[in-house]
Amino acid sequence: MSNPQVELHILDHGVITLELDAEKAPKCTENFLHYVNKGHYDKTIFHRVIPGFMVQGGGFEPGMSQKECDEPIENEANNGLKNDHYTIAMARTSDPHSATAQFFINVANNDFLNHKAPSMQGWGYAVFGKVVSGNDVVDKIAAVKTGRKGFHDDVPKEDVVIEKAVAL
Amino acid sequence: MSTPPLLPQPVPCVQAPAHWQRVDFMSDLHLDASEAATFDAWAHYMAHTPADALFILGDLFEVWVGDDNQDPFALQCMAVLKATAQRMPVYFMCGNRDFLVGAALLNATGMQGLNDPTVLDLGATGPRILLSHGDALCLDDHDYLTFRAQVRQPEWQAAFLAKPLAERQAYARSIRQQSEARKQTHTDYADVDTTTARAWLTASDTQVLLHGHTHKPATHDLGHGLSRWVLSDWHATSQPPRLEVLSWLRQNEQNPTRGLCRLPLEQA
Repeated sequence: MSNPQVELHILDHGVITLELDAEKAPKCTENFLHYVNKGHYDKTIFHRVIPGFMVQGGGFEPGMSQKECDEPIENEANNGLKNDHYTIAMARTSDPHSATAQFFINVANNDFLNHKAPSMQGWGYAVFGKVVSGNDVVDKIAAVKTGRKGFHDDVPKEDVVIEKAVAL
Repeated sequence: MSTPPLLPQPVPCVQAPAHWQRVDFMSDLHLDASEAATFDAWAHYMAHTPADALFILGDLFEVWVGDDNQDPFALQCMAVLKATAQRMPVYFMCGNRDFLVGAALLNATGMQGLNDPTVLDLGATGPRILLSHGDALCLDDHDYLTFRAQVRQPEWQAAFLAKPLAERQAYARSIRQQSEARKQTHTDYADVDTTTARAWLTASDTQVLLHGHTHKPATHDLGHGLSRWVLSDWHATSQPPRLEVLSWLRQNEQNPTRGLCRLPLEQA
């Protein structure tokens, strides 16, 4: 059975097509599809953009208002998938098992985010898919001008809005 | 008291190659054409340091009004940076005086830009260090944080950079005078908030917070194996002169107790 695909339609930027690894990251995949199908990501923004590192989104609406999320999921960073360029991983707090809806797309090979040990510090960030088309769109997002909004640094000056996320 | 800012995750990280034996850190040099002795001391250090990598953690320049500034002093500084960056990796993080350093200066000098904060991972025989300029952690400095929030806005920066260079230089002078006037009337400055420092260290799995900004060089024990190392500002004509780098020296069989240390410039 083929892996599920999701399109992120980014307003004024283009479409990013993601292929999710349902075999190696079943929980992350199910969780991401759940948020996609309930429309959670529609009209959310990429709120944290650090060129040479990653672009993060899925948790805020324009104006930096944070969206309600469902229960956090188990961290699947020990699945062998690496935080390589153009992979997608779950964002989280310092608690390894705290990911909800926020995700990030790596815009470099970020080896230091990979799983090292099943400890608080060594868990790493769970990769659950990769960009299969629209690398140029990711590159454009990584290149937008950023600044500070409230307590948040690296916020794009002009909102980068996920118009809709569609499961194919 | 406002809510302490959470450390946004994931945090960028520089992984030190195993061959780095010595890494140097500096900040708050406040390089300015009117402080020739400080510039000379810095240029000498830059040309001779045996470090394997150099991290500049903000306020290298007293003020930086845009990468298009090509006055003789700026060109002199750029030549020094470029020569050092050809010998070793030089990393640059913006401070509150030189936050307008952009991609053009980084490209022209060969320095690599760092996000604030960034983790420096020194490998199995070294600590994990959280690098920051430090200003964002001075939570009691409300006036400054308001100013910082304003000038870090891309809108503000775009509007400022669109002004003629002479106007930007005049603005920079006025900011500097306000800052000098403030130093005369304020005896105590805001310092890094300890609770937030500990929270950031724990969240990033780092043991050492290394920062500048406060001009209060010291090493603070934060408990639980955590510490905060504050870089010195530079001023060659103070008595005694304030010229110092922090160095990290990799432990080896001959030197089992090496680590972070302060090196007065004549020893650096």
